[in-house]
Amino acid sequence: MKEFIEYLTLRIEEGKKDIQALEADGRHDDADFAKVRMNIYDVCRTVTGALKDRPGAGTLAVKAQFDRFRSLWGSALEKAKEHGDTRNVVVEETKLEALEDVIAHFPEAEK
Amino acid sequence: MTQEEALRIFKALSDMSRLRIVRALTEGDMYTELLAERLELTASTVSFHMKKLEEAGIVSQHKEQYYTVYSLNREVLGDTLLGAAASEPEGEDGQHKREDAYRRKVIDTFFEYGKLRSIPVQRKKKLICYEVIAEHFVPGRVYSEKELDEIILPIHEDYCTIRRDMISEGILSRNGNEYVRIR
Repeated sequence: MKEFIEYLTLRIEEGKKDIQALEADGRHDDADFAKVRMNIYDVCRTVTGALKDRPGAGTLAVKAQFDRFRSLWGSALEKAKEHGDTRNVVVEETKLEALEDVIAHFPEAEK
Repeated sequence: MTQEEALRIFKALSDMSRLRIVRALTEGDMYTELLAERLELTASTVSFHMKKLEEAGIVSQHKEQYYTVYSLNREVLGDTLLGAAASEPEGEDGQHKREDAYRRKVIDTFFEYGKLRSIPVQRKKKLICYEVIAEHFVPGRVYSEKELDEIILPIHEDYCTIRRDMISEGILSRNGNEYVRIR
């Protein structure tokens, strides 16, 4: 679990650099989407930190929370597509993409 | 070209990704997936940028089989600098446009896909939201309280507060169990 949190921290740090580079390049909207991606790693790190050692919660609760995110954001993506809301389509896709990466790196024994 | 149109064009172009898209389109018409590959962006990100360019009138789209193909509106880009410099101040019409833009912004903030996210605290914003809800009622037609609530409930769960507020703001009138939209 320590390695997993380190991975999330690394992605957050990389995200900060991506945002700076995109802003410097004048790609402001793409920088906003990079912020969304970085926030997802941050949210997942917070959730993991808060639940992993809590009595009655633990790693299963962390995974369950990730699954809830997947379901919520999947619905939000469908809704955005249904309404032709191009900005939110990108936002929800970005969130889901980051979440899938987080889940892929979740310790195998805990999945 | 009006100042507002010029401003919309400049805003759309004040992003390097969109400038790169415009530059790619100077070589010829392209479809979303090709632009995504060339610019190393996802197809949905390209679609997002294309919508902004399209709203500013910089590009237009047409369908070719399964693909959405985008073309550059060269005359719009050619006119922009001169048009912006020569455009007249907007006067009263500009005031209306600013009010419309404010209204649009409030609606976009408080409504999501037709549902009211929350009831605004500020009265001016609240009135705008209630006017949007009032559009669901036919002016002059008499509604029972049940009918009224059934229309408001899918928009926001606190239909009682909204119903009461719409009466006190003079949007609806109440006579016993009957309600009429009066403005």
